[in-house]
Amino acid sequence: MTEKRRSAVYRIAFIYSGAFALAVALLGVLVYVAAERALRGEQDLALGEATAALERSYRTEGYAGLIDAIGERGSTNGVVTFGYALFDASGRKVAGSFDLDLPPPGYSNVAFRDPVEGLDHARALTTRLDRNLSLVVGIDSQVLERLDRLILSLFAGVLVLILAIGAGGALVLGSYLRRRLDRISGTAQAIIAGDMRRRVPVSPRGDEFDQLGIALNLMLERIARLLDNLRQVSADVAHDLRTPLARLRAGLEAALSVDDPAAQRAAIAKAVEQADATLALFGGILRIVEVDAGDVRQGFVTVDLTALAEDLVDSYAPAVTDKGRTLACDIAPGIAVPGDRELIAQAVINLLDNAQAHTPPGTAIRLTLRAEPGIARLEVADDGPGVAAADRARIVERFVRLDRSRAAHGHGLGLNLVDAIARAHGGTLAIEDAAPGLSAVLRLPRI
Amino acid sequence: MRFRVAARNTAPMHILLAEDDAETAALVERGLADAGHKVTHVADGDAAHRAGDAADFDLAVVDRMLPGVDGLEVVRRWRAAGIRVPVIMLTALGSIGDRVAGLEAGADDYLVKPFAFAELSARVGALLRRPPLAEAPTRFHVGDVTLDLLRREVRRGAREIRLQPREFGILEQLMRNAGRIVTRAMLLEEVWGFHFDPQTNIVESHLSRMRGKLNEGFDSDPIETLRGVGYRMRGGD
Repeated sequence: MTEKRRSAVYRIAFIYSGAFALAVALLGVLVYVAAERALRGEQDLALGEATAALERSYRTEGYAGLIDAIGERGSTNGVVTFGYALFDASGRKVAGSFDLDLPPPGYSNVAFRDPVEGLDHARALTTRLDRNLSLVVGIDSQVLERLDRLILSLFAGVLVLILAIGAGGALVLGSYLRRRLDRISGTAQAIIAGDMRRRVPVSPRGDEFDQLGIALNLMLERIARLLDNLRQVSADVAHDLRTPLARLRAGLEAALSVDDPAAQRAAIAKAVEQADATLALFGGILRIVEVDAGDVRQGFVTVDLTALAEDLVDSYAPAVTDKGRTLACDIAPGIAVPGDRELIAQAVINLLDNAQAHTPPGTAIRLTLRAEPGIARLEVADDGPGVAAADRARIVERFVRLDRSRAAHGHGLGLNLVDAIARAHGGTLAIEDAAPGLSAVLRLPRI
Repeated sequence: MRFRVAARNTAPMHILLAEDDAETAALVERGLADAGHKVTHVADGDAAHRAGDAADFDLAVVDRMLPGVDGLEVVRRWRAAGIRVPVIMLTALGSIGDRVAGLEAGADDYLVKPFAFAELSARVGALLRRPPLAEAPTRFHVGDVTLDLLRREVRRGAREIRLQPREFGILEQLMRNAGRIVTRAMLLEEVWGFHFDPQTNIVESHLSRMRGKLNEGFDSDPIETLRGVGYRMRGGD
């Protein structure tokens, strides 16, 4: 219960049903007061009419006529019970069945002795007919009282019912909301405990909780990606930077023990080369981290992809030709994407570099740019030996070189950077089978 | 307007070096001194700011992360005070945003550490003799080679040479810096606008094509290749 008292969900549900019950109670009081006032008005009106009729009988037919009139009127008029009494100047009752003491003139609430029920309450109108005679006409309040009681008990019943339904509803609503929230906080707890893979369960209804869940899951996805990235970078640095540094160190150490200045020079030159390669590797990792972090989005402008692709093909064709391959293109006009020109250029260049580095001379490389609905599709395909289906997804990963012995073929970051750049632009990189050869397809959201 | 490049050994230039790392500073200072420049070294931002205010330097090499006032702020203050000394910013921060910030603060060039001294030296050379914008030449003449920017025309002697746009761009950079080394990175930046080094040597393939067209029918090659560093157009007439 303490838990429930602390729970905002239960608190809100209970306060809400309490407020609703209070409103109903207030309505009950208003109805009661209004009904009372209306019925009392009716009562007084009926008393007035009866008194006026009797007074008329007295004035025209005298005392005997009055007694007759009282007898004729009888004691009942529908559901309302009337009582009549005549008093002399000394206040003694001289006629009538209404058993009470002489009330003061005018309307008053009186007590009378009912032959069946004993002492009872009534509304009475006392009129002086002349110096010796006072007429009292009364209406038994019983009906009114019964009506009042009925209204009160009705509202009391409804109130209890509302409180019961409200409390029940609050409990049901509270436990429902709690259950939905518990799913979210359960996920958070699991993640705190180290299970980074947990996600908030989302129902197909798509209500507010589901939307919150979806947003949280997207956020978790992003965080997980950054964490993975960080973990990967640490692992990469530990593994792939150590190796060239160890080689560099060994080379320098060996150079120290040689006396031949020419050999030393060569060793130093080699060391500088190795240091440069290591720095390039390091720069490559940092570049990917930078692109993955997403800050580059701030510098996005409209990039004319058609012009950029044509430009890159022009820039690359001579180098490709020099290496004994061919570069052809098929570029659709007027395609623009929001992005960073240099990053997109680097992505395309990496794809072109890749197509060259892993194919034999004589390979035909083809760059195709097409507009698809909402998407710019840039493909770099070759008709070289291709990549086995099992390896195709893997080559996008960082530091994956299918042939580890051929270290000359880059540092294994190229496609990973392309993938990071594609993602930073809200696009994708797909490695497909060009049958024969390999096809890398870059899809970027188009303007 | 005809613009003749001066001989290689001109009067020594006065360079301000603002760098807090003693080892880097010593290396740069020695290298620049070897190239015949006079170097004033300061190790923090305030000193750099004051030095730039007090003396008329031909060029400043400013590290971005200086103690006290940082390098960006130093350059920003100089620019605000109307000091238009050419600035090369050195930095360990190589991201795209960092480079943009450096150039926006008013630096003329931006070099990421660690760098080869030859790269810095080439950039110093390029900046030292960059003519003021108002006098920007539209026509270059080096040896028997003439390049006209407005007509996009290249001649060697009397013969017109037809170059592709990228080849033209490379020759333009070499001729603007005639007699001085232009590195591969500088060509990638100036001609392609790339601040990264593609695995494929696109500069070399374009340069060799351009060189082939330029030298066809001539015995001499006006472009020197400095292995591992860059290229140089032989200066002087």
